[in-house]
Amino acid sequence: MTIRISKLMILASPVVALSGCGSDGSSGDALQVQTEAVPAVAAQVTEQPDFTGVWTTYRSGGGPGAFNRDGGGQPSLTEVAEEKVAAYQAVTQGTNHSPGAYCVGGGMPASMTGSGGYPMEILQHPDQINVTYEAHKEIRRIYIGDHGYDPIEIFPERNGFSAGRWEGDELVVETTHLLEQVDSRFPHSEQASIVERYSLGMEDGRRVITNQWTMTDPLFLAEPVSGEKKWQELAGGRLLNYECTEPQWVEIVDRLMAGESIGYEGE
Amino acid sequence: MKSRKLAGTLAGSCLSLFVASSAMAHHSAAQFDFRSPVTISGVVKVARFENPHGKLILEVTDDERGTRDIEFEAHSRNNMVRQGLLPDMFKVGDSIMISIAPTRTGQDGGYVTALLTEDGRAVGNITAPD
Repeated sequence: MTIRISKLMILASPVVALSGCGSDGSSGDALQVQTEAVPAVAAQVTEQPDFTGVWTTYRSGGGPGAFNRDGGGQPSLTEVAEEKVAAYQAVTQGTNHSPGAYCVGGGMPASMTGSGGYPMEILQHPDQINVTYEAHKEIRRIYIGDHGYDPIEIFPERNGFSAGRWEGDELVVETTHLLEQVDSRFPHSEQASIVERYSLGMEDGRRVITNQWTMTDPLFLAEPVSGEKKWQELAGGRLLNYECTEPQWVEIVDRLMAGESIGYEGE
Repeated sequence: MKSRKLAGTLAGSCLSLFVASSAMAHHSAAQFDFRSPVTISGVVKVARFENPHGKLILEVTDDERGTRDIEFEAHSRNNMVRQGLLPDMFKVGDSIMISIAPTRTGQDGGYVTALLTEDGRAVGNITAPD
C-alpha cells in the first residue's frame, strides 16, 4: 500500500497555526489547519510534495524479481508508423547501432521509462523542476505555470518541451514538441503529446514516485499508449557524470595530428 | 561531511544494472553468451573507461592460437564503477584475470563480466550488456 505524501504550503498567511503534524513522517493529510480569526486569504492551501532527490527503479519489497521496468504497454502503431519503424529496424536490428551507442539519448517517453537503471535526479523549484537522467545526460526542464515561452521559439527535440501544473498533490506534466522517433521503444511522430501524473508516496519506509503516463499521437498511434513507472529513492545517492562524446573528439584530434584530412577544414 | 554514495551501489547494484541493460542496451545482447562465462588471463594493453561502453585489450597467449591482442567490450564507465570495477584495477602492463561472456561465434573477444582477483574473488557480476 502506498501512503501519499503531501506537504501543506500556506500562502500569504503569517498567522495560520499548524497542529497534528506527525513526527514519524506520516502523511501530511494528517495536518490540521486552525484558521480561526485568520483572514480569508490565508485559507489558500496548496499541497505540493517535494520530488527532490536521487531515484532508481522501484523494486517491490526492495528485493529482486519484481522490477517495474518501464510500465509501458505495447504501442499499437498505425500503418504509417509500422512502415517507418520496419525500415529503421531492417538496418539496425541485431546490430550495435542504436542511439545510445552514439551518445544520443532515448528521448521521451523512453528516457523517463528507462531511467532508474541509471539513476535519475530531480531538483524541484517552485517555477521549474529539473529532471536529469544519468544515461546520456538527458535533462528535462519542467516549467511550472506560465513559462512565458513563445511556441515559435520552441524547437522539436527528443525530450520535447514540458509544462507542468499542480492538481492537488499531483504534478501533471504535458510534453509536446517532440521529434519524430522510430528508434524508440515507443515510436512517435512530431504530433505526439505525453501527459504524466506524478505522485509521491511511502512504501516500506521508502519514498516512492509513481508516474501514470499516456502518450497520444494521431499519426503514429492507433490508440494511446499508457503505463505506470515507479522509482524508489536512493537516500544520499548521487549521479555520475555521463561523459560520452569526448572520446570521439579525442579520436578526431589524433587523426588530425596524424595528418589525416577528415573533411571539415573550416574557413 | 555528509557521505553521498553512488546511486545503484551496494545491494542494488546488479539489479539496477540489469534494468539499465534491458531498457537501454547499447550492445546487441545476441552476440555474447552470458550463460557460459569463460576465464581469460592476459596482460593489459589498453583499458578505456568510457561511455557509452568501455574497451579492454589484453595480450593473451594460449596453446591453440598463440600470442595475440584480444579486444573485449565492457560496461559503460559509470556502470563499471558501480560494479566496483575501477581504472586502477586495469593498469597497462598488469597481468590480470577476467571473466567474460564469450562471443557466440567462437571468435576472440567477449564482454567483461568480472575481474578475478588473486585470492579468488570476483569483482563485478555483469549478467547482460548495457
